[in-house]
Amino acid sequence: MEYQSSADMNGVCSSKLVTEYLCRNGFGELTIESKKLPVQDQSETSRKKAEDESRLPALEAAYTTILRGLGENTERQGLLRTPLRAAKAMQFLTKGYHETIYDILNDAIFDEDHDEMVIVKDIDMFSLCEHHLVPFFGKVHIGYLPSKKVVGLSKLARIVEIYSRRLQVQERLTKQIAMAISEALQPAGVAVVIEAAHMCMVMRGVQKMNSRTVTSTMLGVFREDPKTREEFLALSKNS
Amino acid sequence: MERSKVKQSEKEAPVGSDASLNGHCEGGRAKVAKWKDAPGEACSPSSSKQTSSVMESWKEERTRSVEDNEMSLPSIAAAYTTILRGLGEDPQRQGLLKTPWRAATAMQFFTKGYQEKIIDVLNDAIFDEDHDEMVIVKDIDMFSMCEHHLVPIFGRVHIGYLPNKRVLGLSKLARIVEIYSRRLQVQERLTKQIAVAITEALQPAGVGVVIEATHMCMVMRGVQKMNSKTVTSTMLGVFREDPKTRDEFLTLIRS
Repeated sequence: MEYQSSADMNGVCSSKLVTEYLCRNGFGELTIESKKLPVQDQSETSRKKAEDESRLPALEAAYTTILRGLGENTERQGLLRTPLRAAKAMQFLTKGYHETIYDILNDAIFDEDHDEMVIVKDIDMFSLCEHHLVPFFGKVHIGYLPSKKVVGLSKLARIVEIYSRRLQVQERLTKQIAMAISEALQPAGVAVVIEAAHMCMVMRGVQKMNSRTVTSTMLGVFREDPKTREEFLALSKNS
Repeated sequence: MERSKVKQSEKEAPVGSDASLNGHCEGGRAKVAKWKDAPGEACSPSSSKQTSSVMESWKEERTRSVEDNEMSLPSIAAAYTTILRGLGEDPQRQGLLKTPWRAATAMQFFTKGYQEKIIDVLNDAIFDEDHDEMVIVKDIDMFSMCEHHLVPIFGRVHIGYLPNKRVLGLSKLARIVEIYSRRLQVQERLTKQIAVAITEALQPAGVGVVIEATHMCMVMRGVQKMNSKTVTSTMLGVFREDPKTRDEFLTLIRS
């Protein structure tokens, strides 16, 4: 099986190749070979902060076109600066493209002699559906079984932020988070569960108010061992 | 006269030049302008003559048509392609290939309130009933778009009115909410527009509208306060005059 590296920018074209991982034997051994070093070049981000500023006028013009196309009057008081605000809001909502795992994680990995499950649950997540450009949001529960290395807890939430603040598909988001943690810590196993409400289903289309989408990725012992998986699911459930 | 003016401006600039969408009338529609711009006025039951002129102005409301939608779709889709590129994404990758079209259609759906007229929704379903007790329809799910950031707002609307010999079909209250909420909105204006529409249609003894909503522009960005809710209300007629009536309404929507 091959998986795109978690550092893949959601398919954004960047000139440097991202690493590939081969996971053999259905994770029986969890041997992860990398064809390249997992170290990402600092300049690998396709979008830097300076670029954001320079792209703002084009985004503004696009939003003005959209407002006019919807039949609104762009000169009225409430809409005068809306193209600028909407452009900045959209850049904020996709700021995950700025950031790499490398920046965040390199500092906060510690050697601890801990081999029990660590769970961080109820991490609020906000993302944008890449098909309709409409938000989806929910909670992420992450669990991992360390193998001599633990990560700073807020870094798990930061990993969620990096990958969720992009144009996403919930399945891919779940896997990217799991792969990032796997790659950084080489733990015995990682589990990620996301439960989200998709505005594209709630506000339009089928219009099902209360529907929730749940996706999960289980790697390592969480995949192999049903009891470990059960323990994680029981602990991360809200009572 | 008004009508021909509007039509002319439509011909010159088919979209966007008309200031009447969402009730911001710069033109000569005095009646409509009056009750939309005066924040503190209580609407007293108007005479039938006044009503018909309001209903007339509702008939003249400029609406977007399905043809307008089709014609503007390519330019909106092109704008979305620009946005995707501007964000650093690759519009040619599989997941994004048809996204500009989907996003454009979605945005037109989110602003479909501009396609509908109050007069079409209401004209049929007003009935003469000898009922003068409070009628409440609560927990109406509402989805709107913030006009400042183009990001969703969603919440619940509670409507109550004290009929004065005329009642409205219940689903029409929800339809009024739909027409005004599926637009680029500000929560305060939305609340007032709903209240005023019911007042003008029925001339009830009073109307109360309460909206409780979550603004994604505050939750997903900016201050990022997850659990914040914004509550706005408009009380007209006896709901404004009489504290007991108002209390009864607020208690009933809370239970």
